[in-house]
Amino acid sequence: MLFLSQCINGLQLGSIYALVALGYSMVYGIIRLLNFAHGDVIMIGAYIALLTIGAGVNPALAVVLTIFGCVFISVLIERVAYRPLRSAPRISLLITAIGVSLLLQNVTQLLFTANTRPYPGSAIIPSKALKLGGLSLSLTTIVTILVSVGSMIALHLLIQKTRMGKAMRAVSEDTGAAQLMGIDINRVISVTFAIGSALAGIGSVLFCCRYPVVNPNIGSMLGLKAFVAAVLGGIGSIPGAVVGGFAIGFAEVLVTALGFSAWTDAVVFAILILVLLFKPAGLLGRGVAEKV
Amino acid sequence: MDKTARGYRQIPVYLKYLINAVLLAAFLVLGNALLSSGAVNRAQSAVILQIGIYILLAVSLNVATGYLGQLPLGHAGFMAVGAYTAALIWKSLPGKNIGIIVLGLLAGGLLAAVTGMIIGIPALRLKGDYLAIVTLGFGEIIRVLIINLPGITGGTPGLMSIPKHSTFMVVYITVILSCMLIHTMMKSRHGRAILAIRENEIAAESSGVNTTFYKVLAFSVSAFFAGVAGGLYAGYTGILTPGNFNFMTSINILVMVVLGGLGSMAGSIIAAGILTALPLALQSFNKYRMVIYALLLIAVMIFKPSGLLGRYDFSLSRILEKAINGRLFTKPRKAGEDRA
Amino acid sequence: MPKKPVNSNMVPLDGLGIIPERDAGKPPILDIRHLCVDFGGLRAVDDFTLLIGRTEIAGLIGPNGAGKTTVFNLLTNVYKPTQGRILLNGQDTRGKSMHELNRLGIARTFQNIRLFAGMTVEDNVKVGMSHGYSDGVFTDMFRLPGWWRTERRQHVRALELLDLFDLTDKADSLAGNLPYGDQRRLEIVRALASEPKLLLLDEPAAGMNPSETHELMDNIRMLRDRFDIAIMLIEHDMNLVMGICEGIAVLNYGKIIAKGTPKEIQQNPVVIEAYLGEEAAV
Repeated sequence: MLFLSQCINGLQLGSIYALVALGYSMVYGIIRLLNFAHGDVIMIGAYIALLTIGAGVNPALAVVLTIFGCVFISVLIERVAYRPLRSAPRISLLITAIGVSLLLQNVTQLLFTANTRPYPGSAIIPSKALKLGGLSLSLTTIVTILVSVGSMIALHLLIQKTRMGKAMRAVSEDTGAAQLMGIDINRVISVTFAIGSALAGIGSVLFCCRYPVVNPNIGSMLGLKAFVAAVLGGIGSIPGAVVGGFAIGFAEVLVTALGFSAWTDAVVFAILILVLLFKPAGLLGRGVAEKV
Repeated sequence: MDKTARGYRQIPVYLKYLINAVLLAAFLVLGNALLSSGAVNRAQSAVILQIGIYILLAVSLNVATGYLGQLPLGHAGFMAVGAYTAALIWKSLPGKNIGIIVLGLLAGGLLAAVTGMIIGIPALRLKGDYLAIVTLGFGEIIRVLIINLPGITGGTPGLMSIPKHSTFMVVYITVILSCMLIHTMMKSRHGRAILAIRENEIAAESSGVNTTFYKVLAFSVSAFFAGVAGGLYAGYTGILTPGNFNFMTSINILVMVVLGGLGSMAGSIIAAGILTALPLALQSFNKYRMVIYALLLIAVMIFKPSGLLGRYDFSLSRILEKAINGRLFTKPRKAGEDRA
Repeated sequence: MPKKPVNSNMVPLDGLGIIPERDAGKPPILDIRHLCVDFGGLRAVDDFTLLIGRTEIAGLIGPNGAGKTTVFNLLTNVYKPTQGRILLNGQDTRGKSMHELNRLGIARTFQNIRLFAGMTVEDNVKVGMSHGYSDGVFTDMFRLPGWWRTERRQHVRALELLDLFDLTDKADSLAGNLPYGDQRRLEIVRALASEPKLLLLDEPAAGMNPSETHELMDNIRMLRDRFDIAIMLIEHDMNLVMGICEGIAVLNYGKIIAKGTPKEIQQNPVVIEAYLGEEAAV
């Protein structure tokens, strides 16, 4: 029974990582950028929910605002900071992304101080527990898993069945060729950022319901681990991000259950290094060779 | 090509070395005199030491970022390895003599270099962004290790009462010597191979450059000097806590290198000096420091990706040569060409 | 007008190909047998068999997309062949890294120029001199006698090589600032710096005007005579190919459709068909 509840625990954490990892993976697939600011967009989402609910906004509406807020800020970042560097060396783009991440964290800190605040998680998902046989499941857990899986299915359909999805796949395959075929690259990139950050917005709500505290730094470690998940699964691969997310979630729950909670971060990064050593393209990714 | 052929008078090599040596020695004597005479107060001398340490950190990161063209984000991790190693050696060997100081710094540097090699061999097989994330992860692992091994490292409260060996003399000589060694390495066939990898990896490899070897070399040299800087840091503060070596420290160093100009040692030195002195000089600046750093990073990348000095390398001899040829104010040669 | 070929007589070897008569006593510098490579189910190079003599100037021609550069990439181990083997100077190149192959005597230029643009012309050439120096990092760092020796030797040698292509007075400029033709020439000089036994030139005359191309032809011959090396080149300029190549292989859709002397190639109906077919398509 303990084992089962730990498994569900891992499933919950893993599905959050997977949602966030999808955002990394999609953006990487399309512009080969490790979007450092992705985790911080999640943190911004947490503040939006916190402030709107604090101001008496209906929690359901607050969730919607969170998602739209994340989308808005992500698309804005892409426009202002990343687009001018479309043809710049990768290292410049990466440094810019680090800069954006720092900016979000520190502006938030200036505005709201570095203090940790409670997140109104119970206003969004009531803190009830359901008994299933001998198993006690919190409503948060169930909602998290259902919403995550639902979002992933929606994303899958979007990418496989719609015109925009087809365009996204084309751009990630070969940007130049896609452009020649008349695809509006800038629009596809904006939409990719928007979808990735909508998932981040959902992830933000679910993550904060699980760990209901907010400070300007909550996004960075979550973001890093989700990125590790994306790399583990094979960056650029959508199913890979999901598999990687669940793997990291389970690994973390396992390490904690064994009584080494102080080591979880180290274990996650050690997994990353080992994966890159033995399977650099990740579990489901494929290597890309440079054209000579 | 040969400037003597065009009547361009050159300073003999030995004289160049002599001029530089005399100037460096003069600075050392001057600095020491200022400090010991009390003309510089305690707070100011602390700033000077910090600047020296950050200069070495920036210059060493520049080897991996500016010269090799990779983006390691765990520089603070190498610094930590060096700092704790030196601190533990100094704590266990009482006394203050040059042998013990050098031993601590060297051991710190070497252990950091070995760590760099261990992390570099797998990481350098990967492309830029992966390397960034692996080194970032490595930095975090080091921090977790420091926190969770209190028997050795003092854990979260920190390692205390480390002998304060980092006097002005020690910092000055170490930093100058380190910068010189990095400079002389870069102006050699090994340095050229490292630059060639940055410029075009496939062309370098097909020209016979063993790219894996040179990447690991550059990475280890970078880690070595970060370790030495860590040792200086330990001997300067006298107390080490895991918080000294977090991700933000790595980013601070990166900002200096990027701002100064990727690949310019002079740029790294100037940026490290300004960015270390500024927050200490302006207390109110501190509140906005990180916001300004973030904006600087973004703005520099968008508007002037080459940083303040691009790849320019300061060379006194070159300026002197221009002066004796009466061409001091003519258009400078393109960056990165100074030899010897 | 095609120039008068320089070639000696070509003689068959092992029934696999032809090499210049003067090289017949020695094993070929390059011996490629049944080379194949697949890219995701597509066979880009199919059953490629070719011999190149020790001092031969060989040409690899064919319509665009025929797989010529892919052959160069296979020869330098940028790609791993799916089947077949390559003997360079009698040694199997399988599993060797690119820089090890360079040490074994193969050097190349690139179709899309790959210079070290931010380094000086002289330094570009010096990077090519990567073999035969044993002094380590400490020698360099501490300016020990070995460093002075190496720097002097490399400086003198770099200027000698640059002089071959009249680039000496540009030794101090940044490679990226050179005009296009000079960049192509510098790539050849850099390749020569590693003292190859076989030099691969990927479209050396691309973007050059007729008089530059003419000069390049003389230079290629000069290099062969002076360094006693084999040169294999990919080129679309038929005047150049027919003018200086002794043996020519024609590639189409990854397969060799003809091998022979310039004269034989020019009269080969299959070759004419392949080229005319392309022209008609354009």
